[in-house]
Amino acid sequence: MANFDVIVSSLASGFLLGGILALIALGLSVALGVMRLVNLAHGELLVCGAYLSSFLMAAVGLDPLAGLLVVGMAAALLALPLQRLLIAPLVSKGMEPPMMTMFGLSIIAQNLLLLGFSADTRTLEAPYSSRPVSIGPITVPEVYLIGFVISVVIVAAVHFLVAHTAFGRALRASSADPAAAAVMGVDVRKVHALTFALGAACAAMGGVLIGTAFSFTPSTGGSYLLISFAIVVLGGVGNIFGTLLAGIAMGLLQSIGAVVLGDGYRDLVGLVLFLLVLALRPEGIAKLGKA
Amino acid sequence: MNSIRTFTGQFGRGLVASAALLAMLTIASTARAEDEIVIGTSIPLSGPLAGFGLYQKWGYETAVKDLNKAGGILIDGKKLPVRLVVRDDKTDPNVTASNTESLLSRDKVVAMLGSCTPALVNAGALVAERRKVPLVTGCNPLHAFKSVRKWQYAWSIFFDEPELSSAPFRMIAELGLNTNKKIAILADNGPDGVVVGGKLWPDAAKAGGFEVVQNTSFPVDTQQFTAMVGQAKSSGADIVLVDAIPPQAIAMRKQMASAAFTPKIIVMEKGAEPEFFAQATGKLADGVLVGGYWDPSFPYPGAAELAKRFESETKQSQSQHIADSHAAAQVLLDAIAAAGSLDREKINAAIARTNKSYVIGPVKFDAGNASAIPITVMQWQGGKSVVVWPKDRANGKLIFPLGEPK
Repeated sequence: MANFDVIVSSLASGFLLGGILALIALGLSVALGVMRLVNLAHGELLVCGAYLSSFLMAAVGLDPLAGLLVVGMAAALLALPLQRLLIAPLVSKGMEPPMMTMFGLSIIAQNLLLLGFSADTRTLEAPYSSRPVSIGPITVPEVYLIGFVISVVIVAAVHFLVAHTAFGRALRASSADPAAAAVMGVDVRKVHALTFALGAACAAMGGVLIGTAFSFTPSTGGSYLLISFAIVVLGGVGNIFGTLLAGIAMGLLQSIGAVVLGDGYRDLVGLVLFLLVLALRPEGIAKLGKA
Repeated sequence: MNSIRTFTGQFGRGLVASAALLAMLTIASTARAEDEIVIGTSIPLSGPLAGFGLYQKWGYETAVKDLNKAGGILIDGKKLPVRLVVRDDKTDPNVTASNTESLLSRDKVVAMLGSCTPALVNAGALVAERRKVPLVTGCNPLHAFKSVRKWQYAWSIFFDEPELSSAPFRMIAELGLNTNKKIAILADNGPDGVVVGGKLWPDAAKAGGFEVVQNTSFPVDTQQFTAMVGQAKSSGADIVLVDAIPPQAIAMRKQMASAAFTPKIIVMEKGAEPEFFAQATGKLADGVLVGGYWDPSFPYPGAAELAKRFESETKQSQSQHIADSHAAAQVLLDAIAAAGSLDREKINAAIARTNKSYVIGPVKFDAGNASAIPITVMQWQGGKSVVVWPKDRANGKLIFPLGEPK
C-alpha cells in the first residue's frame, strides 16, 4: 500500500484533474441536453483545440493559457458552419443520423490532423506544464491547479449564461420543448447552432489544458470522449454544476482506483461507475441547476 | 415464371461478365507481375507508433529506390524493377494481419518487410509464415520474436532484450556511477514491456546487486501516472527504468517533473527513441537514456551517408530505425537477387545464407532466424541523441546525475 504522501497527493491531483475533465464533458453535456446530439466528434474538437494552441505557440509564440480564449473562440467559429451544414438539416430525422454524421466527422478530423500535423506525439510546453506545487505533504502538478481554477471559472460562466441571460432562457426553453419554444418565438435553430459552438469552445479549451498536462496525437480524442460520456451520465445530461461535481467525483474515484489497483485501472474504475449509474440512477447523481 | 426466367437470364449474363472481367484482371495482373518484382510492407504510419513507421518507410523506400536506379534485379535473364507496396497498419496488430493478407492475396507480393514492435511485426509475420512467404524485419527485439514460434519464413535483425536490459547495469558498473542502487521499474503490459519490465530488468538488477523497490505494469494507453510516479518518488529510487511507447513516455516524463521527482538515472526504452520525444519534452529530455544500436559514426558501410541523406531529404534528425529498416530491405533484395528467381522457397533459402555487413552492421542469422545487433546506450543532450556507452563507441560524455532541468 502506498504511503500517506502518495495517497493525499494522488487524491488532490485527482480532484484537480476532475475539474478539467468536467470542462471537457460540459460541452458534450450541453449538446446532448439541448440538441439531443450525441457528439461523437467531441474528442476531435478537444484535440483540435490542442493542435490549434500548438500552432499558435509555434507561429506567434502565444502561451497556451494566454491563447485559451482565442482557441475557444476559434473552435466556436469553426463549429457554427459545421452545425449549419451537417447537423441542422438532420434535426428532424431523429438522433441516429446526426450521431452518425458526427462519427464520420470524427474520422475525417483525425485524418485531416494526421495530414496537417503528422502522427507525432506532441505536448504543449510551458514553464508551468511540468512544475510541481507543494503544500505540506501534498505535491500536485501546477498545471492541474491552474486548469482546475480555469475550468471552474468557465463552468460558472456557462452557468451564468444559461441561468441569467436571454440566450440562456432560450436555451432552456429549447431544451425543455423545442416545438413550444419555437411557437413562443425562440429561434431554435440559432439556439442549437450557438449551443454547438459553446460545446466546441469548452472542448477546445479543455483540449489546451489536457495538451499542456499530458501528450496528444490525432487519435487521442477517443479516450476523452469515453470518460466525458461517463461524467455526463454521472452528472445528469445538461446539468452544468452536476457535470462539475461528476468530473471531480470521477477524478477522485479514478485516483482511488489508481492508488489501490494501479494507474492502469483509472479508466476501469470510471467506466464501471458509468455503468452502475446508468443502471441505478440514469438521471445522474446531481439535481442542481439543470440547463 | 417469366420474371424468374428474366432474373435467371440477367444473373447468368452477370456471372459471365464477372468471370470475363476476373479473367482479364488475372491476365493483367500476371502480365504486370512479369514486368516487376512486387514486395510489400504494413507499417505504422498513424497511431501511437507512427514515429517509427515514418523512419521505416524512408528506409525501405530508399533501399528500393537505390536498387531500381542501379537497374533492378536479374530474374531469369531479365532485369526487373522492384515495386514496394506500403500499407498503414494504424498501430493495430489486427490491421497488420489483414494488411498482410491483402498484400499477399491482392497485390501478389513475393516477399514482405516487417512492421515495428513485437505486437505488430509478429501479427504480420504469423500470416506470412502461414502462407510460406518470406518476411524480413528490423524493429522487433529478438527475444519477443523467437518466443512466438520456431520461424521458417520470418527473419529478424535487431537487438536482443537480455543484452538491452543489462546495458544500463553494465554501464553503471563500468563508469562507476554512484547511486543508492534502488530501482523503480515502470513498464507497459505490451509483449516486450512484460518481458523487459517483468523479467529481464529484475533479473539484471538482482545479478548486479541492485534492489527493485517498485515494479509497476500499466496498460499501453494510460496517460496518467500520478500514483505510480508518487510511489517511485517515495520509494527513494535513484534509478527509474521505463518501458513505454512515445505518448506515454512523454506524459510520464512531464509527470515525474511535476511531482518533483528527480532520480539520478532515467532510462526510457521505446518511448524516448524518436526525435519527437526530445521535441515534445524540451529540456526534460536532457539526460534521459535509451537503449540504442546504431549511430552514423559507427564504422559500417554507408552509415554516415545514410544519415546525411535522410536529414537532407526530410529536414529531420536521423534515427537508428532508418538503418535497421534500410538493412532489412537490402537483405531481402540481396536474397531475391541471389535466388535469381521469384520462387519464395528459393528467396527464403537465400535469406538464410545471408552473411554480409550492411549499414546496420554484420548480418548473419542464427538457428532461430535472428541476427543480433550489439547494444549501445544513448542519451538525449540538447535535443540530440548521443552515444554514451560503451566507451569504444561513445561520441559524447554521460550527463550524470540527471538533476533538475534548468
